[in-house]
Amino acid sequence: MTEGWRKWLSGDRRGTYAVALVPAGAIFAGLFIAPLAYFFAVSFWTVRARMMRPDFSPQNYVEAVSEYGDVLAFTLAISGIIAISTTVLAFLFAYAIRFKLGRFANLFLFLTLITLFGGYLVKIYAWKSILGTDGVLNKALLLLGIIEAPLGALLYSANGVVITLTYFLLPFAVLPIYGSLRSLKDVTIEAARDLGAGPVSVMRDVVLPQCQGGLLTAFTLSFLISAGDYVTPRFVGGGAALIGTFIENQFSIAFNWPLGSALAFTTMAATLAVVAAVRFLLVWGLKP
Amino acid sequence: MTRASILNFIWIAVAFLIAGYLLIPIALVVLFSFNTSALTSLPLSGLTLAWYGKLLSIDYFWPALQNSMIIAAAVSVVSVASGTLAALALARMPARRSERFIYLLSLPMMLPALIIGISLLSFFVRLLPIKLGLFTVILGQLVVVQPFVIAILYARLQSFDWSIVDSARDLGATPSRAFFTITLPVIQPTVVGAGLIALAISLDDFIITFFTIGSGNTLPTMVWGLVRTSLDPTINALATLLLAVSIGSTALALRFSRYQG
Repeated sequence: MTEGWRKWLSGDRRGTYAVALVPAGAIFAGLFIAPLAYFFAVSFWTVRARMMRPDFSPQNYVEAVSEYGDVLAFTLAISGIIAISTTVLAFLFAYAIRFKLGRFANLFLFLTLITLFGGYLVKIYAWKSILGTDGVLNKALLLLGIIEAPLGALLYSANGVVITLTYFLLPFAVLPIYGSLRSLKDVTIEAARDLGAGPVSVMRDVVLPQCQGGLLTAFTLSFLISAGDYVTPRFVGGGAALIGTFIENQFSIAFNWPLGSALAFTTMAATLAVVAAVRFLLVWGLKP
Repeated sequence: MTRASILNFIWIAVAFLIAGYLLIPIALVVLFSFNTSALTSLPLSGLTLAWYGKLLSIDYFWPALQNSMIIAAAVSVVSVASGTLAALALARMPARRSERFIYLLSLPMMLPALIIGISLLSFFVRLLPIKLGLFTVILGQLVVVQPFVIAILYARLQSFDWSIVDSARDLGATPSRAFFTITLPVIQPTVVGAGLIALAISLDDFIITFFTIGSGNTLPTMVWGLVRTSLDPTINALATLLLAVSIGSTALALRFSRYQG
Protein backbone atom coordinates (compact mmCIF):
# COMPACT_ATOMS: atom_id res chain seq x y z
CA MET A 1 0.00 0.00 0.00
CA THR A 2 1.25 3.47 -0.87
CA GLU A 3 1.59 6.14 1.74
CA GLY A 4 -1.28 8.07 0.11
CA TRP A 5 -3.63 5.14 0.37
CA ARG A 6 -2.71 4.46 3.97
CA LYS A 7 -3.44 8.09 4.81
CA TRP A 8 -6.67 7.91 2.86
CA LEU A 9 -7.89 4.82 4.64
CA SER A 10 -6.75 5.85 8.08
CA GLY A 11 -9.09 8.79 7.87
CA ASP A 12 -6.42 11.40 7.20
CA ARG A 13 -8.55 12.75 4.36
CA ARG A 14 -11.02 13.99 6.92
CA GLY A 15 -8.43 16.55 7.96
CA THR A 16 -8.18 17.96 4.46
CA TYR A 17 -11.99 18.07 4.22
CA ALA A 18 -12.25 20.15 7.35
CA VAL A 19 -9.73 22.66 6.01
CA ALA A 20 -11.79 23.19 2.83
CA LEU A 21 -14.86 23.96 4.94
CA VAL A 22 -13.11 26.69 6.92
CA PRO A 23 -13.75 29.73 4.63
CA ALA A 24 -17.44 28.93 4.15
CA GLY A 25 -17.76 28.07 7.84
CA ALA A 26 -16.11 31.36 8.80
CA ILE A 27 -18.59 33.33 6.67
CA PHE A 28 -21.48 31.35 8.13
CA ALA A 29 -20.35 31.62 11.75
CA GLY A 30 -18.85 35.10 11.68
CA LEU A 31 -21.42 36.90 9.53
CA PHE A 32 -24.59 34.95 10.18
CA ILE A 33 -24.53 33.17 13.55
CA ALA A 34 -22.51 35.77 15.47
CA PRO A 35 -24.62 38.78 14.34
CA LEU A 36 -27.83 36.84 15.06
CA ALA A 37 -26.57 35.86 18.53
CA TYR A 38 -25.58 39.45 19.29
CA PHE A 39 -28.90 40.69 17.90
CA PHE A 40 -30.71 38.21 20.15
CA ALA A 41 -28.85 39.59 23.17
CA VAL A 42 -29.92 43.11 22.14
CA SER A 43 -33.58 42.07 22.44
CA PHE A 44 -33.13 41.97 26.24
CA TRP A 45 -31.64 45.45 26.43
CA THR A 46 -33.55 48.51 27.53
CA VAL A 47 -33.80 51.99 26.06
CA ARG A 48 -33.72 55.04 28.28
CA ALA A 49 -33.69 58.58 26.95
CA ARG A 50 -33.09 57.15 23.44
CA MET A 51 -29.92 55.39 24.63
CA MET A 52 -29.57 51.61 24.55
CA ARG A 53 -28.33 49.96 27.72
CA PRO A 54 -27.22 46.36 28.05
CA ASP A 55 -29.70 44.71 30.39
CA PHE A 56 -31.54 41.47 30.92
CA SER A 57 -35.15 42.47 30.71
CA PRO A 58 -38.06 40.54 29.17
CA GLN A 59 -39.90 43.87 28.78
CA ASN A 60 -39.43 44.03 24.97
CA TYR A 61 -41.01 40.61 24.51
CA VAL A 62 -43.94 41.59 26.72
CA GLU A 63 -44.40 44.69 24.59
CA ALA A 64 -43.98 42.71 21.34
CA VAL A 65 -46.75 40.31 22.28
CA SER A 66 -49.14 42.79 23.92
CA GLU A 67 -48.74 45.72 21.50
CA TYR A 68 -48.05 43.88 18.26
CA GLY A 69 -49.92 40.61 18.86
CA ASP A 70 -52.69 41.39 16.39
CA VAL A 71 -50.25 42.61 13.70
CA LEU A 72 -48.36 39.36 14.15
CA ALA A 73 -51.55 37.30 13.87
CA PHE A 74 -52.55 39.24 10.74
CA THR A 75 -49.05 38.67 9.29
CA LEU A 76 -49.26 34.93 9.95
CA ALA A 77 -52.70 34.77 8.30
CA ILE A 78 -51.60 36.69 5.19
CA SER A 79 -48.34 34.70 4.96
CA GLY A 80 -50.34 31.50 5.28
CA ILE A 81 -52.58 32.53 2.36
CA ILE A 82 -49.50 33.50 0.31
CA ALA A 83 -47.67 30.26 1.14
CA ILE A 84 -50.69 28.10 0.27
CA SER A 85 -51.45 29.87 -3.01
CA THR A 86 -47.76 29.84 -3.97
CA THR A 87 -47.41 26.12 -3.20
CA VAL A 88 -50.60 25.19 -5.09
CA LEU A 89 -49.69 27.23 -8.19
CA ALA A 90 -46.12 25.94 -8.06
CA PHE A 91 -47.35 22.35 -7.86
CA LEU A 92 -49.70 22.80 -10.84
CA PHE A 93 -46.91 24.40 -12.87
CA ALA A 94 -44.26 21.84 -11.89
CA TYR A 95 -46.65 18.94 -12.56
CA ALA A 96 -47.54 20.32 -16.00
CA ILE A 97 -43.84 20.80 -16.82
CA ARG A 98 -43.00 17.27 -15.72
CA PHE A 99 -45.91 15.35 -17.26
CA LYS A 100 -48.07 17.44 -19.60
CA LEU A 101 -46.09 19.91 -21.67
CA GLY A 102 -43.97 17.58 -23.77
CA ARG A 103 -41.58 19.55 -25.95
CA PHE A 104 -42.53 22.85 -24.28
CA ALA A 105 -41.38 21.54 -20.90
CA ASN A 106 -37.79 22.79 -21.18
CA LEU A 107 -38.93 26.23 -22.31
CA PHE A 108 -41.24 26.57 -19.31
CA LEU A 109 -38.53 25.38 -16.93
CA PHE A 110 -36.09 27.88 -18.45
CA LEU A 111 -38.68 30.61 -17.96
CA THR A 112 -38.98 29.72 -14.27
CA LEU A 113 -35.23 29.71 -13.79
CA ILE A 114 -34.51 33.04 -15.46
CA THR A 115 -37.20 34.86 -13.47
CA LEU A 116 -35.74 33.41 -10.26
CA PHE A 117 -32.96 35.88 -9.53
CA GLY A 118 -34.18 38.96 -11.37
CA GLY A 119 -35.52 42.08 -9.83
CA TYR A 120 -37.05 41.80 -6.36
CA LEU A 121 -37.86 45.52 -6.31
CA VAL A 122 -38.61 45.52 -10.03
CA LYS A 123 -41.27 42.85 -9.57
CA ILE A 124 -42.96 44.72 -6.73
CA TYR A 125 -42.83 47.92 -8.75
CA ALA A 126 -44.36 46.10 -11.73
CA TRP A 127 -47.41 45.15 -9.69
CA LYS A 128 -47.72 48.67 -8.35
CA SER A 129 -48.30 49.88 -11.90
CA ILE A 130 -50.54 46.94 -12.83
CA LEU A 131 -52.88 47.04 -9.84
CA GLY A 132 -53.48 50.80 -9.52
CA THR A 133 -56.88 52.35 -10.25
CA ASP A 134 -55.60 53.54 -13.65
CA GLY A 135 -53.34 50.49 -13.96
CA VAL A 136 -53.25 47.89 -16.68
CA LEU A 137 -55.50 45.38 -14.92
CA ASN A 138 -58.32 47.83 -14.27
CA LYS A 139 -58.02 49.18 -17.84
CA ALA A 140 -58.27 45.66 -19.25
CA LEU A 141 -61.24 44.72 -17.05
CA LEU A 142 -63.05 47.96 -18.01
CA LEU A 143 -62.35 47.35 -21.68
CA LEU A 144 -63.71 43.81 -21.47
CA GLY A 145 -66.81 45.15 -19.72
CA ILE A 146 -66.26 42.91 -16.70
CA ILE A 147 -66.36 45.88 -14.32
CA GLU A 148 -68.12 49.25 -14.54
CA ALA A 149 -65.74 51.34 -12.43
CA PRO A 150 -62.05 50.82 -11.54
CA LEU A 151 -61.51 48.53 -8.57
CA GLY A 152 -59.77 50.44 -5.81
CA ALA A 153 -59.23 47.45 -3.59
CA LEU A 154 -56.60 45.83 -5.86
CA LEU A 155 -53.76 48.09 -4.86
CA TYR A 156 -53.00 49.34 -1.34
CA SER A 157 -54.67 46.39 0.33
CA ALA A 158 -53.92 42.89 1.53
CA ASN A 159 -54.93 41.65 -1.96
CA GLY A 160 -52.04 43.54 -3.49
CA VAL A 161 -49.61 42.00 -0.99
CA VAL A 162 -50.90 38.47 -1.67
CA ILE A 163 -50.79 38.83 -5.48
CA THR A 164 -47.32 40.42 -5.48
CA LEU A 165 -45.60 38.11 -3.01
CA THR A 166 -47.12 34.99 -4.59
CA TYR A 167 -45.75 36.23 -7.89
CA PHE A 168 -42.29 36.85 -6.43
CA LEU A 169 -42.09 33.50 -4.59
CA LEU A 170 -43.53 31.28 -7.34
CA PRO A 171 -40.25 30.45 -9.16
CA PHE A 172 -38.58 29.60 -5.83
CA ALA A 173 -41.44 27.22 -5.03
CA VAL A 174 -41.59 25.55 -8.48
CA LEU A 175 -38.00 24.28 -8.34
CA PRO A 176 -38.09 22.05 -5.23
CA ILE A 177 -41.45 20.58 -6.30
CA TYR A 178 -40.22 19.96 -9.83
CA GLY A 179 -37.07 18.41 -8.36
CA SER A 180 -39.07 15.86 -6.38
CA LEU A 181 -41.42 15.17 -9.33
CA ARG A 182 -38.47 14.45 -11.58
CA SER A 183 -37.53 11.40 -9.54
CA LEU A 184 -41.08 10.06 -9.98
CA LYS A 185 -40.95 7.57 -12.86
CA ASP A 186 -43.61 7.41 -15.56
CA VAL A 187 -43.60 3.63 -15.09
CA THR A 188 -44.79 4.01 -11.49
CA ILE A 189 -47.80 6.05 -12.60
CA GLU A 190 -48.60 3.67 -15.45
CA ALA A 191 -48.40 0.76 -13.05
CA ALA A 192 -50.85 2.47 -10.69
CA ARG A 193 -53.20 3.12 -13.64
CA ASP A 194 -52.94 -0.46 -14.87
CA LEU A 195 -53.88 -1.60 -11.41
CA GLY A 196 -57.11 0.39 -11.77
CA ALA A 197 -56.30 3.68 -10.01
CA GLY A 198 -58.23 6.70 -11.34
CA PRO A 199 -56.67 10.17 -11.82
CA VAL A 200 -57.67 11.25 -8.31
CA SER A 201 -56.19 8.26 -6.55
CA VAL A 202 -53.01 8.39 -8.68
CA MET A 203 -52.62 11.99 -7.56
CA ARG A 204 -53.39 11.28 -3.91
CA ASP A 205 -51.61 7.96 -3.45
CA VAL A 206 -48.67 8.19 -5.87
CA VAL A 207 -47.85 11.76 -6.94
CA LEU A 208 -48.48 13.80 -3.77
CA PRO A 209 -46.63 11.49 -1.33
CA GLN A 210 -43.70 11.47 -3.76
CA CYS A 211 -43.35 15.25 -3.80
CA GLN A 212 -44.10 15.75 -0.11
CA GLY A 213 -40.55 17.00 0.51
CA GLY A 214 -40.74 19.50 -2.35
CA LEU A 215 -44.16 20.76 -1.22
CA LEU A 216 -42.87 21.26 2.32
CA THR A 217 -39.79 23.16 1.13
CA ALA A 218 -41.96 25.36 -1.11
CA PHE A 219 -44.44 26.09 1.68
CA THR A 220 -41.75 26.73 4.31
CA LEU A 221 -39.74 29.06 2.08
CA SER A 222 -42.75 31.11 0.95
CA PHE A 223 -44.19 31.32 4.47
CA LEU A 224 -40.96 32.41 6.16
CA ILE A 225 -39.99 34.91 3.46
CA SER A 226 -43.41 36.55 3.23
CA ALA A 227 -43.76 36.80 7.03
CA GLY A 228 -40.55 38.85 7.12
CA ASP A 229 -41.17 41.05 4.10
CA TYR A 230 -41.60 44.78 4.58
CA VAL A 231 -40.99 46.18 1.11
CA THR A 232 -44.09 44.71 -0.57
CA PRO A 233 -46.58 46.04 2.02
CA ARG A 234 -44.90 49.44 1.73
CA PHE A 235 -45.32 49.55 -2.06
CA VAL A 236 -48.64 47.82 -2.65
CA GLY A 237 -50.10 47.14 0.80
CA GLY A 238 -51.44 50.56 1.81
CA GLY A 239 -52.87 50.18 5.30
CA ALA A 240 -52.17 46.45 5.31
CA ALA A 241 -48.88 46.70 7.16
CA LEU A 242 -47.25 43.43 8.13
CA ILE A 243 -45.00 42.89 11.15
CA GLY A 244 -41.90 43.52 9.00
CA THR A 245 -42.97 47.13 8.56
CA PHE A 246 -42.99 47.62 12.34
CA ILE A 247 -39.65 45.86 12.76
CA GLU A 248 -38.07 48.05 10.09
CA ASN A 249 -39.57 51.17 11.72
CA GLN A 250 -37.60 50.48 14.91
CA PHE A 251 -34.41 50.86 12.87
CA SER A 252 -35.31 53.69 10.49
CA ILE A 253 -37.64 55.93 12.49
CA ALA A 254 -38.09 54.94 16.14
CA PHE A 255 -34.49 53.82 16.80
CA ASN A 256 -35.64 51.30 19.38
CA TRP A 257 -33.36 48.44 18.37
CA PRO A 258 -34.12 46.25 21.40
CA LEU A 259 -37.85 46.32 20.63
CA GLY A 260 -37.14 45.70 16.92
CA SER A 261 -35.01 42.72 17.87
CA ALA A 262 -37.65 41.29 20.21
CA LEU A 263 -40.25 41.71 17.45
CA ALA A 264 -37.98 39.92 14.97
CA PHE A 265 -37.35 36.96 17.27
CA THR A 266 -41.01 36.73 18.30
CA THR A 267 -41.96 36.61 14.60
CA MET A 268 -39.33 33.97 13.91
CA ALA A 269 -40.55 31.80 16.79
CA ALA A 270 -44.20 32.15 15.70
CA THR A 271 -43.45 31.34 12.04
CA LEU A 272 -41.31 28.33 12.96
CA ALA A 273 -44.13 27.03 15.18
CA VAL A 274 -46.59 27.33 12.27
CA VAL A 275 -44.17 25.61 9.89
CA ALA A 276 -43.64 22.76 12.36
CA ALA A 277 -47.42 22.32 12.72
CA VAL A 278 -47.94 22.32 8.94
CA ARG A 279 -45.14 19.79 8.46
CA PHE A 280 -46.71 17.50 11.02
CA LEU A 281 -50.17 17.81 9.45
CA LEU A 282 -48.91 17.25 5.90
CA VAL A 283 -46.83 14.21 6.80
CA TRP A 284 -49.77 12.81 8.76
CA GLY A 285 -52.31 13.68 6.03
CA LEU A 286 -50.32 12.14 3.17
CA LYS A 287 -49.76 8.86 4.95
CA PRO A 288 -51.00 6.15 2.59
CA MET B 1 -62.81 14.54 -27.09
CA THR B 2 -62.19 11.87 -24.55
CA ARG B 3 -62.16 12.60 -20.84
CA ALA B 4 -58.38 12.18 -20.69
CA SER B 5 -57.72 14.65 -23.48
CA ILE B 6 -60.02 17.26 -21.91
CA LEU B 7 -58.07 16.84 -18.67
CA ASN B 8 -54.80 17.25 -20.57
CA PHE B 9 -56.11 20.39 -22.24
CA ILE B 10 -57.01 21.87 -18.86
CA TRP B 11 -53.49 21.12 -17.51
CA ILE B 12 -51.87 22.84 -20.48
CA ALA B 13 -54.20 25.84 -20.22
CA VAL B 14 -53.36 26.19 -16.50
CA ALA B 15 -49.63 25.99 -17.26
CA PHE B 16 -49.92 28.75 -19.89
CA LEU B 17 -51.93 30.94 -17.50
CA ILE B 18 -49.25 30.57 -14.80
CA ALA B 19 -46.51 31.26 -17.35
CA GLY B 20 -48.41 34.44 -18.30
CA TYR B 21 -48.58 35.43 -14.63
CA LEU B 22 -44.78 34.93 -14.41
CA LEU B 23 -43.95 36.84 -17.59
CA ILE B 24 -46.48 39.61 -18.21
CA PRO B 25 -45.55 41.91 -15.28
CA ILE B 26 -41.87 41.86 -16.26
CA ALA B 27 -42.76 42.37 -19.92
CA LEU B 28 -44.90 45.40 -19.03
CA VAL B 29 -42.07 47.04 -17.06
CA VAL B 30 -39.81 46.68 -20.10
CA LEU B 31 -42.51 47.87 -22.49
CA PHE B 32 -43.29 51.03 -20.49
CA SER B 33 -39.62 51.98 -20.42
CA PHE B 34 -39.92 52.67 -24.17
CA ASN B 35 -43.28 54.44 -23.97
CA THR B 36 -43.41 58.19 -24.73
CA SER B 37 -46.17 58.85 -22.19
CA ALA B 38 -45.13 59.44 -18.57
CA LEU B 39 -48.11 57.38 -17.41
CA THR B 40 -47.63 53.67 -17.04
CA SER B 41 -50.85 52.62 -18.73
CA LEU B 42 -51.84 51.02 -22.01
CA PRO B 43 -52.17 51.65 -24.92
CA LEU B 44 -48.60 52.81 -25.68
CA SER B 45 -48.48 56.34 -27.03
CA GLY B 46 -45.25 55.93 -29.01
CA LEU B 47 -41.73 54.58 -28.71
CA THR B 48 -38.81 56.52 -27.27
CA LEU B 49 -35.42 56.13 -25.60
CA ALA B 50 -35.89 59.38 -23.69
CA TRP B 51 -36.31 57.69 -20.29
CA TYR B 52 -32.94 55.98 -20.70
CA GLY B 53 -31.41 59.35 -21.51
CA LYS B 54 -33.01 60.83 -18.42
CA LEU B 55 -31.71 57.94 -16.32
CA LEU B 56 -28.13 58.40 -17.55
CA SER B 57 -28.29 62.11 -16.77
CA ILE B 58 -29.19 61.56 -13.10
CA ASP B 59 -25.97 62.50 -11.30
CA TYR B 60 -26.04 59.65 -8.77
CA PHE B 61 -26.69 56.94 -11.40
CA TRP B 62 -22.99 56.46 -12.27
CA PRO B 63 -21.71 56.11 -8.68
CA ALA B 64 -24.59 53.69 -8.00
CA LEU B 65 -23.65 51.62 -11.04
CA GLN B 66 -20.01 51.61 -9.98
CA ASN B 67 -20.87 50.56 -6.41
CA SER B 68 -23.11 47.76 -7.67
CA MET B 69 -20.34 46.47 -9.92
CA ILE B 70 -17.64 46.56 -7.23
CA ILE B 71 -19.89 44.77 -4.74
CA ALA B 72 -21.09 42.16 -7.25
CA ALA B 73 -17.55 41.38 -8.43
CA ALA B 74 -16.20 40.99 -4.90
CA VAL B 75 -19.17 38.92 -3.71
CA SER B 76 -19.04 36.52 -6.66
CA VAL B 77 -15.28 35.97 -6.46
CA VAL B 78 -15.25 35.36 -2.69
CA SER B 79 -18.44 33.27 -2.59
CA VAL B 80 -17.30 31.11 -5.52
CA ALA B 81 -13.97 30.46 -3.78
CA SER B 82 -15.45 29.65 -0.38
CA GLY B 83 -18.47 27.85 -1.84
CA THR B 84 -16.48 25.66 -4.22
CA LEU B 85 -14.07 24.62 -1.47
CA ALA B 86 -16.97 23.79 0.82
CA ALA B 87 -18.81 21.82 -1.88
CA LEU B 88 -15.66 19.81 -2.63
CA ALA B 89 -15.30 18.89 1.02
CA LEU B 90 -19.00 18.09 1.40
CA ALA B 91 -19.13 15.96 -1.75
CA ARG B 92 -16.54 13.56 -0.36
CA MET B 93 -18.23 13.15 3.00
CA PRO B 94 -20.75 10.43 3.78
CA ALA B 95 -24.06 11.61 2.26
CA ARG B 96 -25.83 11.81 5.58
CA ARG B 97 -23.29 14.09 7.20
CA SER B 98 -22.90 16.32 4.14
CA GLU B 99 -26.67 16.79 3.87
CA ARG B 100 -26.79 17.90 7.48
CA PHE B 101 -24.02 20.44 6.77
CA ILE B 102 -25.77 21.70 3.62
CA TYR B 103 -28.99 22.15 5.58
CA LEU B 104 -27.11 24.16 8.21
CA LEU B 105 -25.23 26.30 5.68
CA SER B 106 -28.51 26.98 3.80
CA LEU B 107 -30.23 28.52 6.83
CA PRO B 108 -29.55 32.09 5.60
CA MET B 109 -31.72 31.31 2.54
CA MET B 110 -34.69 30.55 4.77
CA LEU B 111 -34.48 33.62 6.99
CA PRO B 112 -36.10 36.89 5.85
CA ALA B 113 -33.42 39.25 4.54
CA LEU B 114 -34.80 41.90 6.89
CA ILE B 115 -33.66 39.94 9.95
CA ILE B 116 -30.22 39.23 8.44
CA GLY B 117 -29.90 42.90 7.46
CA ILE B 118 -30.78 44.39 10.85
CA SER B 119 -28.70 41.87 12.79
CA LEU B 120 -25.69 42.73 10.60
CA LEU B 121 -26.41 46.43 11.08
CA SER B 122 -26.37 46.14 14.88
CA PHE B 123 -23.34 43.83 14.75
CA PHE B 124 -21.27 46.18 12.58
CA VAL B 125 -22.33 49.46 14.13
CA ARG B 126 -22.64 48.58 17.77
CA LEU B 127 -20.41 45.60 18.55
CA LEU B 128 -17.41 45.80 16.24
CA PRO B 129 -17.74 48.89 15.32
CA ILE B 130 -16.90 49.03 11.60
CA LYS B 131 -17.77 52.02 9.46
CA LEU B 132 -20.63 51.09 7.11
CA GLY B 133 -19.80 51.14 3.40
CA LEU B 134 -19.21 48.93 0.39
CA PHE B 135 -17.07 46.56 2.49
CA THR B 136 -19.88 45.84 4.95
CA VAL B 137 -22.33 45.34 2.06
CA ILE B 138 -19.96 42.76 0.56
CA LEU B 139 -19.70 40.93 3.90
CA GLY B 140 -23.47 40.99 4.31
CA GLN B 141 -24.27 39.71 0.82
CA LEU B 142 -21.78 36.85 1.17
CA VAL B 143 -24.06 35.37 3.83
CA VAL B 144 -27.00 34.92 1.45
CA VAL B 145 -25.10 34.29 -1.79
CA GLN B 146 -22.78 31.55 -0.50
CA PRO B 147 -25.54 28.91 0.08
CA PHE B 148 -26.59 29.15 -3.59
CA VAL B 149 -23.02 28.58 -4.78
CA ILE B 150 -22.61 25.60 -2.44
CA ALA B 151 -25.94 24.07 -3.53
CA ILE B 152 -25.16 24.41 -7.26
CA LEU B 153 -21.64 22.95 -6.97
CA TYR B 154 -22.66 20.21 -4.58
CA ALA B 155 -25.35 19.11 -7.06
CA ARG B 156 -22.76 19.00 -9.85
CA LEU B 157 -20.25 17.03 -7.75
CA GLN B 158 -22.83 14.31 -7.08
CA SER B 159 -22.08 12.91 -10.53
CA PHE B 160 -18.34 13.61 -10.38
CA ASP B 161 -16.04 10.65 -10.95
CA TRP B 162 -13.65 10.78 -8.00
CA SER B 163 -11.65 7.80 -9.23
CA ILE B 164 -9.78 10.01 -11.72
CA VAL B 165 -8.63 12.27 -8.91
CA ASP B 166 -7.66 9.26 -6.81
CA SER B 167 -5.61 7.87 -9.72
CA ALA B 168 -3.81 11.18 -10.10
CA ARG B 169 -3.03 11.15 -6.38
CA ASP B 170 -1.80 7.54 -6.61
CA LEU B 171 0.46 8.52 -9.48
CA GLY B 172 2.05 11.10 -7.23
CA ALA B 173 0.15 14.34 -7.90
CA THR B 174 -0.04 16.66 -4.92
CA PRO B 175 -3.58 17.52 -3.79
CA SER B 176 -3.33 21.00 -5.28
CA ARG B 177 -1.93 19.69 -8.57
CA ALA B 178 -4.74 17.13 -8.79
CA PHE B 179 -7.23 19.90 -8.12
CA PHE B 180 -5.91 22.32 -10.74
CA THR B 181 -5.26 19.77 -13.50
CA ILE B 182 -8.28 17.50 -13.03
CA THR B 183 -11.06 18.59 -10.68
CA LEU B 184 -11.19 22.26 -11.65
CA PRO B 185 -11.19 21.78 -15.45
CA VAL B 186 -14.01 19.25 -15.14
CA ILE B 187 -16.25 21.36 -12.91
CA GLN B 188 -15.21 24.69 -14.44
CA PRO B 189 -18.47 25.33 -16.37
CA THR B 190 -20.44 24.88 -13.14
CA VAL B 191 -18.03 27.15 -11.26
CA VAL B 192 -18.57 29.87 -13.88
CA GLY B 193 -22.32 29.26 -13.74
CA ALA B 194 -22.37 29.57 -9.96
CA GLY B 195 -20.35 32.79 -10.23
CA LEU B 196 -22.90 34.27 -12.63
CA ILE B 197 -25.77 33.31 -10.32
CA ALA B 198 -23.86 34.96 -7.45
CA LEU B 199 -23.49 38.06 -9.62
CA ALA B 200 -27.24 38.12 -10.36
CA ILE B 201 -28.22 37.75 -6.68
CA SER B 202 -25.72 40.40 -5.59
CA LEU B 203 -26.81 42.94 -8.24
CA ASP B 204 -30.42 42.40 -7.24
CA ASP B 205 -30.02 42.51 -3.47
CA PHE B 206 -31.85 45.41 -1.91
CA ILE B 207 -32.65 44.64 1.72
CA ILE B 208 -29.22 43.64 3.06
CA THR B 209 -27.58 46.41 1.05
CA PHE B 210 -30.06 48.95 2.40
CA PHE B 211 -29.14 48.18 6.02
CA THR B 212 -25.39 47.76 5.61
CA ILE B 213 -24.37 50.48 3.13
CA GLY B 214 -24.64 53.50 5.43
CA SER B 215 -24.69 56.24 2.80
CA GLY B 216 -24.35 55.94 -0.96
CA ASN B 217 -26.36 53.99 -3.48
CA THR B 218 -26.41 50.79 -5.48
CA LEU B 219 -28.77 50.29 -8.42
CA PRO B 220 -31.49 48.61 -6.28
CA THR B 221 -31.36 51.29 -3.56
CA MET B 222 -31.65 53.81 -6.40
CA VAL B 223 -34.83 52.06 -7.60
CA TRP B 224 -36.13 52.32 -4.03
CA GLY B 225 -35.44 56.05 -3.97
CA LEU B 226 -37.00 56.63 -7.39
CA VAL B 227 -40.19 54.71 -6.57
CA ARG B 228 -40.66 56.93 -3.54
CA THR B 229 -39.90 60.22 -5.22
CA SER B 230 -40.73 60.11 -8.92
CA LEU B 231 -43.49 58.54 -10.91
CA ASP B 232 -42.22 58.53 -14.48
CA PRO B 233 -40.76 55.68 -16.57
CA THR B 234 -37.16 56.52 -15.59
CA ILE B 235 -37.74 53.78 -13.01
CA ASN B 236 -38.82 51.47 -15.83
CA ALA B 237 -35.59 52.23 -17.68
CA LEU B 238 -33.50 51.45 -14.60
CA ALA B 239 -35.62 48.37 -13.84
CA THR B 240 -35.17 47.12 -17.41
CA LEU B 241 -31.42 47.57 -17.08
CA LEU B 242 -31.37 45.55 -13.84
CA LEU B 243 -33.59 42.85 -15.35
CA ALA B 244 -31.41 42.60 -18.43
CA VAL B 245 -28.28 42.07 -16.33
CA SER B 246 -29.76 39.58 -13.86
CA ILE B 247 -31.78 37.59 -16.43
CA GLY B 248 -28.85 37.72 -18.84
CA SER B 249 -26.36 36.36 -16.32
CA THR B 250 -28.80 33.68 -15.12
CA ALA B 251 -29.42 32.57 -18.72
CA LEU B 252 -25.67 32.45 -19.34
CA ALA B 253 -25.19 30.51 -16.12
CA LEU B 254 -27.77 27.94 -17.20
CA ARG B 255 -26.02 27.58 -20.52
CA PHE B 256 -22.65 27.06 -18.84
CA SER B 257 -23.70 24.69 -16.12
CA ARG B 258 -26.52 22.91 -17.99
CA TYR B 259 -28.41 23.14 -14.71
CA GLN B 260 -31.82 21.45 -14.87
CA GLY B 261 -33.73 22.51 -11.79
